Amino acid sequence: MSLKYDPKSIQLPERWKSLTPILVALGVILVAVGFAFSLFAGGGAENSSEATMKFFAHSYLANFMFVMSIALGALFFILVQFVARAGWSTSVRRIAELLMQTIPFLAVVFAPIIIMLFANMDSLYEWNRPDRVHSSVIKAKIDVGYLTKEWFTLRAILYFTLWSAMGWWFFKRSREQDESGDIGPSLARQKWAGPCIMIFALSVSFAAFDWVMSIDADWFSTIFGVYIFAAGMMAFFATMILISMSLQRAGKVRELITTEHFHDMGKFMFGFIMFWSYIAFSQLLLYWYGNIPEETNWYLVRLNDGWQYLAYGLIPLHFAIPFLGTISRHVRRHRAGLAFWAVWVLVVHWLDMTFLVMPNAGPFNFMPMVGHFVGGLGMLMVFLAFFLAKASVTPLVPMRDPRLPEALTYANPLL
Amino acid sequence: MATIASSYNPREIDNTEDIPGRRAPLVTGNQTYSSVTEMVCRVAEDPQPKLWWLLFGFSSLTATMFLTLIAFLIYKGVGIWGNMNPVFWAWPIVNFVFWVGIGHAGTLISAILFLFRQNWRTSINRAAEAMTIFAVICAGIYPGIHVGRAWLAFWLLPYPSLNLWMWPQFRSPLLWDVFAVGTYASTSLVFWYMGMIPDIATYRDRSKTPFRRMIYSILCLGWTGSSRHWLVYEKAYTLLAALAAPLVLSVHTVVSFDFAVSQLPGWHTTIFPPYFVAGAIFSGFAMVVTLLVPMRKIYKLENLITLRHLDNMNKIILATGSLVGLAYGTEFFMAWYSQNQYESFTFINRAFGPYWWAYWIMVTCNVISPQLFWFKWFRRNLVAMWIVSIFVNIGMWFERFVITVTSLSRDFLPASWGYFRPTMFDGLMFFGSFGVFMTLFLLFCRFLPTIAISEVKGTIAAAEHAEHAEAELLGHSHGEDHGHGNAHGHGH
Amino acid sequence: MSEHKSTKSIESRPPKACGWMAEFTNEHDLLDAARKVRDAGYTKTDAFTPFPVHGIDHALGIKPTILPFIVLCAGLTGLCTALVMQFWMNGVDYKYIISGKPFGITPASIPVSFELTILFSAFTSVFGMLALNGLPKFSNPIFTNPKFDRATNDRFFLYVDSTDKYYNRDSVRELLSSVHPTSLDEVMEDNSSVHMPKAIWLGALLLVLAGLIPAAIVLNMRASDSDLPRWHVFFDMDFQPKKKPQQSTTIFADGRAMRPAVPGTISRGQLEEQDPFYLGHDPLKMSLADYRKAVFVSATDQDPADATKPAEEAKPAAQDAAAAPAASAPVNPPAVVGDGGTAPKYAWVDKLPIEVTEEHMQIGKTKYETYCSSCHGYSGFGDGLVAKRAASLLQDTWTPPTSLHADRVQKQPVGQIFHTISKGQGKMASYASSLSAKERWAVVLYVKALQRSRNANIEDVPVEQRSSLTPSVSGASESTGATVK
Repeated sequence: MSLKYDPKSIQLPERWKSLTPILVALGVILVAVGFAFSLFAGGGAENSSEATMKFFAHSYLANFMFVMSIALGALFFILVQFVARAGWSTSVRRIAELLMQTIPFLAVVFAPIIIMLFANMDSLYEWNRPDRVHSSVIKAKIDVGYLTKEWFTLRAILYFTLWSAMGWWFFKRSREQDESGDIGPSLARQKWAGPCIMIFALSVSFAAFDWVMSIDADWFSTIFGVYIFAAGMMAFFATMILISMSLQRAGKVRELITTEHFHDMGKFMFGFIMFWSYIAFSQLLLYWYGNIPEETNWYLVRLNDGWQYLAYGLIPLHFAIPFLGTISRHVRRHRAGLAFWAVWVLVVHWLDMTFLVMPNAGPFNFMPMVGHFVGGLGMLMVFLAFFLAKASVTPLVPMRDPRLPEALTYANPLL
Repeated sequence: MATIASSYNPREIDNTEDIPGRRAPLVTGNQTYSSVTEMVCRVAEDPQPKLWWLLFGFSSLTATMFLTLIAFLIYKGVGIWGNMNPVFWAWPIVNFVFWVGIGHAGTLISAILFLFRQNWRTSINRAAEAMTIFAVICAGIYPGIHVGRAWLAFWLLPYPSLNLWMWPQFRSPLLWDVFAVGTYASTSLVFWYMGMIPDIATYRDRSKTPFRRMIYSILCLGWTGSSRHWLVYEKAYTLLAALAAPLVLSVHTVVSFDFAVSQLPGWHTTIFPPYFVAGAIFSGFAMVVTLLVPMRKIYKLENLITLRHLDNMNKIILATGSLVGLAYGTEFFMAWYSQNQYESFTFINRAFGPYWWAYWIMVTCNVISPQLFWFKWFRRNLVAMWIVSIFVNIGMWFERFVITVTSLSRDFLPASWGYFRPTMFDGLMFFGSFGVFMTLFLLFCRFLPTIAISEVKGTIAAAEHAEHAEAELLGHSHGEDHGHGNAHGHGH
Repeated sequence: MSEHKSTKSIESRPPKACGWMAEFTNEHDLLDAARKVRDAGYTKTDAFTPFPVHGIDHALGIKPTILPFIVLCAGLTGLCTALVMQFWMNGVDYKYIISGKPFGITPASIPVSFELTILFSAFTSVFGMLALNGLPKFSNPIFTNPKFDRATNDRFFLYVDSTDKYYNRDSVRELLSSVHPTSLDEVMEDNSSVHMPKAIWLGALLLVLAGLIPAAIVLNMRASDSDLPRWHVFFDMDFQPKKKPQQSTTIFADGRAMRPAVPGTISRGQLEEQDPFYLGHDPLKMSLADYRKAVFVSATDQDPADATKPAEEAKPAAQDAAAAPAASAPVNPPAVVGDGGTAPKYAWVDKLPIEVTEEHMQIGKTKYETYCSSCHGYSGFGDGLVAKRAASLLQDTWTPPTSLHADRVQKQPVGQIFHTISKGQGKMASYASSLSAKERWAVVLYVKALQRSRNANIEDVPVEQRSSLTPSVSGASESTGATVK
């Protein structure tokens, strides 16, 4: 009981396979160009090299989070498909699995941040130089031993190990099934997906606190992990939509990924646009209403020095416009329409990560921000290169998954 | 008629194993359309069992007591409760949040699970929606009688008044609550009612007496089952589901804002909105399990509300319970991470202060007890799951108690610290609200369709259709294609 | 009820046929039949099923509904209603300041806007569905056939209406019988009486009238005047068992509900009222009459001269003016006021209650320069920046600040200066809220030092420091105040 298919249709296009090294090279060059931009145009403060370094470090982190959150979204997607015994997603699941497989590579991309800590730099995390910290709260956080470079590194290694291990295990089972067609690997993944989601929720929350929230070590928000998660899920669905469409344009997986899948992925993207707005608004409202100085400071920084245009801009760009744009089922079932909104969502996700990180580096400055954008493109290329490297040697659809027939025959009755 | 006979004597059939590639049936006992109708309609058509009368007698007495106590409260004033300085919000708000939380399961099942195409919801959504409405009624009573002058509670609404010359204060989260709970109650009501229209029509068409026929005719608005009507009806149902899904999230979010916009440590934290929503779903599902486990037994609905339905609900209880646990942990961590002495004090005080017992009851019931659902045996054993669901109900009540009372009893000014003790009226009125809830639920079972008959039939048809389509895809037969050609013919 | 209807219809006239209805046992047969009927060109068709059969819209050629669009409009209406309502009610019509939040549309307006958007859309979905479906509609020809009762149970019906433009009784029957239905019936018009029984009308009328009674009572009460006292429903709220100030009681022998303080009671804050350190004078050393006046002064914060004015007319005020030509000093040295009998004769503290140390001097200097120098000037001549500017602008309402070196001030005991700082005088405000008692004493110390620096000679300077001062002693002006000691 298996489907007949053309093995070629589930291979990565030949032309794409050779792209990996080019993309990596190009990506690294672009990141370097971005750095050069901030070197020449950045700073402006009296201590120019320090300001430049600060800007670049923040830019690097923002761009890293941009791609990292997508990979984490993919991991969560895989886990939740097995928890929910989902059938519809089987034909697009491999794309998510490949995106999830980029996590170990992204650990390498994260390494410079750790190196920066051990080089005793406080460009990104001011708590790394206790001698230069003035805030008593940050001092206390350092004193209790939470925000120290050793412990931070240990935690980062732990997160990456957990995510990579989960990804590796789920990917391995998936590939096993490609060979055997047994239901065993499906059952095993269903069994372990639940506990893995628990681990995922905990580790993503803490990673968000560590990596992004602690750049403003005075400030804290318990919802922050959920915020990063919501943003990442939204961007992940956009990425999956775009990759699926590109593959179909290249003549692959045409019959396997149907309009119904795009419709569903579009719905999820729409849902997470709303969820992101809900989380972002909840955090804003509570801090705006409470009006406690140590909490509102985070927003104060983001509503001054040119950043206010970005902050207010996110309301229409990240919520109102894409919300209205993707509310109709006709848009979600229309390839070009959905592609347009997926690109839109990816761009605003980058803006969102910029909003979270960059204002801490100083006032808005146009030229360095161009560098930041170029760096973001570079990071995206490196990310895609990792994806392609894995995808070159893997079929793009788990053809022997027992739930595939369901995925190929279901229909969206409504909405 | 063999199938109907077998449905009268149901056995527990374990349909919880879902082998990948072959969906387990959602209803057991080889149901046909007519056997589903028969099973559900019997609940209202047959004489009610003795147990129903017993429960109804008891709960209506309790409800009467509740109403009497409300009258006494209005006469005497809120001083008969244990509310004190500094615990101004005590049991009334705890009970309000408790009931509103329970009221989240129904709309969640009918809206969010509908959007996620979880067809198993069809067997349980009706009862859950009814439960939602009754829980929201119980919830709505508390703020109404807590305002002190209950007869002026309508001042909460923005109506052009010739006496007051003023408007409600829209920047107050308590007014948001009025709008959120009001919208939720009315939308849930119309959602529930709209879902029932086709099933009331079934009741109408089976009526033996003209009076009964007339009542159900009016209630179902003359529903015929016309396909043209179905089409608009399904669209409306889908739209309502899409609207109710964010609505259900918003309600407990707004309830959490009541607490979180303040500056009180233990209340003012950004995780509150999603954490309250998770807690609400958690308690709501627990209440659904608490009600459905006996109900399916009493009315012999084991073939429709199968072990798989219960198993799924228990998984949701496990997931949301763990989310709630995660939120507890995050709050504790943040209290420490923030190095804010007020935050740290609040959380240490919760766990080890004078209300330590409430805190540990909460943790045991909410976080630890649902962890039993990691084991299949607990998820499928009726007695075990019923006990756990009761534990969760208790734990979620204590969660609201812990949040409200521990934070309030420890003011910024140690001189005004106090220890809250409930009075007899607090206890009796909380107990009485269960009477209202149970009375309404029992009446619902007696007179209205407890299971969405048409939706269950639709699910049976859809399962058959999906099986057919998959078999066709795999080349077992080459019958007529019903418009799913896009999945066809790869390879050759 | 259907039998009831059919018996009635016999009495009136033979029912008209409305169309044909074919019965099927499953949805697949229904769909096949529906396609045939559609392909035959019939459009006034319908199917009746116990659950929504998917694909029937194509099979029958039913157009999609416009309900989503209506709901979207309703949602936007709800959103606008909420925003306008909140903006107008809390931003325009009834501005009410609450915790410093701005008026109009703020993040706090979002929850209500969201809820109303949902409320409007949800109700529009339901009522729009009913309206588009023409429900409620209790009378329907298809109900006349008892077989149709199974349409909500397990049977599927296909119906072709006689109003269809291609309708022909025989050809439709032929077409429908060709798809092998379980049964095929002609649907007859429901011609039972369209009049509602009179009892129902009467009942409805009575209900409406009964419903109006409470409204009528409320309206009547609003419109009419009444001499009767109001009806006390909540007795213990209207008549609370408590006494208000100045009421009498039978409980106590003196008949007063207000109780005097128990002798020896010191209420919160009263301790300071007795302590010369906080007062600048010692009340225990005053005569009783003066003490009473002083208590009156401190309790009312009123100028004793003003307080006695009504009784003594303008005389004491004139006396004041005469005694104190400097307009800045309406309250005069006790010796002067005392004989007028208008102000208490304070027993001023004449010895600094704080130690004369360098530390206290520094506090005094800092505070003096912060709070006093803007008017009184750095060296105390009443030539501070404010005074200079007021003088240069020729402000005729401006009262020049007192020079601290005026003879009158020179003679004042330290306690009186302290009192002036604490209570204010003339245009000068009280500084008690800005300066603690100790700081006020330190300022007094500094003022005294300033005064002395005007009349100092070399003997006042400690021997070991004299040499350092020699060159500038003669020219010492403003800056020497602090060093001379």
